[in-house]
Amino acid sequence: MAECNCENPLVPSMVEVVDIKDETPDVKTFYVRSENGGVPFNVMPGQLAMVSHVPVGEGMFSVSWQEENDHLQFAIKSVGLLTEQLHNIDIGQMIGVRGPYGNGFPVEECKGKDMLFIGGGIGLAPLRSFIKYCFKYREDYGKITIIYGSRSYADLCFKDELFEKWPAMKDTEVFVTIDNEEENWSGHVGFVPSYLQEINPDPQGLIAVTCGPPIMIKFVLQALEKMGFTDEQVITTLEARMKCGIGKCGRCNIGSEYICLDGPVFNLAQLKKLPPEW
Amino acid sequence: MKVMKKAKVEKVIEALAKEHDVYVPIQRGAQTGFFSYRTYNEDYDDIMLDTLNVYQPPKSIVFPQTEKMYGFKSEGQKINIDQVFEESEPKIIFGLRSCDLKAIDYLDELFFTKSYEDEFYRARRKSTVMIVNACYNPGTSCFCDSMGVSPNEPENADVLIHDIGEGDFAWEAKSDKGEAVTELIKDLLEEQEATLPTLKNFKRKVDYEGVAEKLKDMFDHPMWEDMSYPCHNCGICTYMCPTCYCFDIQVKTAGEEGYRFRCWDSCMYREYSQMAGGHNPRELDKERFRNRFLHKLQFFQERYGEPLCTGCGRCIVVCPAGVSIIKVIEKVKEADV
Repeated sequence: MAECNCENPLVPSMVEVVDIKDETPDVKTFYVRSENGGVPFNVMPGQLAMVSHVPVGEGMFSVSWQEENDHLQFAIKSVGLLTEQLHNIDIGQMIGVRGPYGNGFPVEECKGKDMLFIGGGIGLAPLRSFIKYCFKYREDYGKITIIYGSRSYADLCFKDELFEKWPAMKDTEVFVTIDNEEENWSGHVGFVPSYLQEINPDPQGLIAVTCGPPIMIKFVLQALEKMGFTDEQVITTLEARMKCGIGKCGRCNIGSEYICLDGPVFNLAQLKKLPPEW
Repeated sequence: MKVMKKAKVEKVIEALAKEHDVYVPIQRGAQTGFFSYRTYNEDYDDIMLDTLNVYQPPKSIVFPQTEKMYGFKSEGQKINIDQVFEESEPKIIFGLRSCDLKAIDYLDELFFTKSYEDEFYRARRKSTVMIVNACYNPGTSCFCDSMGVSPNEPENADVLIHDIGEGDFAWEAKSDKGEAVTELIKDLLEEQEATLPTLKNFKRKVDYEGVAEKLKDMFDHPMWEDMSYPCHNCGICTYMCPTCYCFDIQVKTAGEEGYRFRCWDSCMYREYSQMAGGHNPRELDKERFRNRFLHKLQFFQERYGEPLCTGCGRCIVVCPAGVSIIKVIEKVKEADV
């Protein structure tokens, strides 16, 4: 269990937004650094942090990458009041962060395995932390396969990594799909779960990690089961409305587990023991 | 045994109120609840030490309905958190009942265990002394003993008082905090022989045995549809419950400054789990109803080892639709799985 480094776990530390990158028309990545330099806290892949545009609101986001002790990255889609306001800020703005929260991906247990990442839309943001971790410690992991889809080409996140950096990595394959035909798109068209079935990876020695809209996750889990993946080989990361982030405020429960504390990462075996309320 | 005579009760409260904010069960107009003795108006208010349960439980004293967390000021792009409001004024809850004390034990479990500790709650809780009024004559909607609560021998009371008749109370300090407040009023207590009353039988019994275990296989049971049908999802049960603790965190901003606060929330409301993107894992009224009862009877039990219900009976009394946690438990017991 990660420990919160602040004295009062509900009070954020202030960090500066040092860079903002447009990923898609409605997704931006915010690069944040402590006022004194460095990261406000260390984060493992898949962990969460509460981000606040202090006068507006606070919301839980996956940390899409920690760059050494230099900065944290949050890829955030504009979908509501807080995120719209976050999209309006400029470089130099101070925002609040608290964390890290949640269990994160089982990076140690996955060592020595081939990795299959299956993402949809903004769901690539949490997977990216694990993908980049695998590349950072490339020798610890086997073959890496990434399947990712979005509604349209414009909606694909992290395009430079997706089309340039990742396919160039050793022993790595990247498959990208979009929901509908588009001019100038010669790649695959179709939803992620069906593309996954077309690619039909062999489950032998493979760990599948998926994140996306709940409906996509549900179909991906079904598809993986059909292909013969065991429940222990399938990992997902969930989201829910959260207020405290420390297992007190109540709302992110699935059964007696809290997504903020016991999750957000669950394997399918764990998920099957819980009510289907996610 | 130390005894607080009827004629001295108000003097004791007054004496304690010199150094503490003392909360007393009071009938005030149409409402009853634990109100600060500082607001006591003898022309209108009645102190109710002979009533079993006032409507509003005392949880708000350690966990207020609305509570400031921290204040901030902005200056251009700079924002400073300049105040953290951890409230630790000495407080006494005078005359709470065992069920409500047990409910605060559950809040302690929630806020102090399973990783992070809640500093806002800690500040209030540690500065609060519990003077518990032992129950010997359970009411018509009381079922605390069925939920594992002892009405007359509660754990974790700082002082335990016992109604020994004629409005007199036997007074027993039960902890260091209790000894300390007893010291403040020792001149107002008398030493005398006193016989404690005998606990009368409960009129209501509920069989909670095995319910948490059985509920594991009842998530999709049709009883949830039937039982939730009359529920308006109004949330009054959650506000009057001494154990319900779900909270929201919101912000109040005016110009360049503001503060973040938390306030009670209710799992009965759609917004409780509504996500910004539109997805809601508990969209239906029935799903929220089921989650509330599963939380009380199964999930909290699984996580903390006890049910999140102390048998105070308030939710049954206040529900405009006749929903009863006793009936829910009975249905679970009867159900074919």
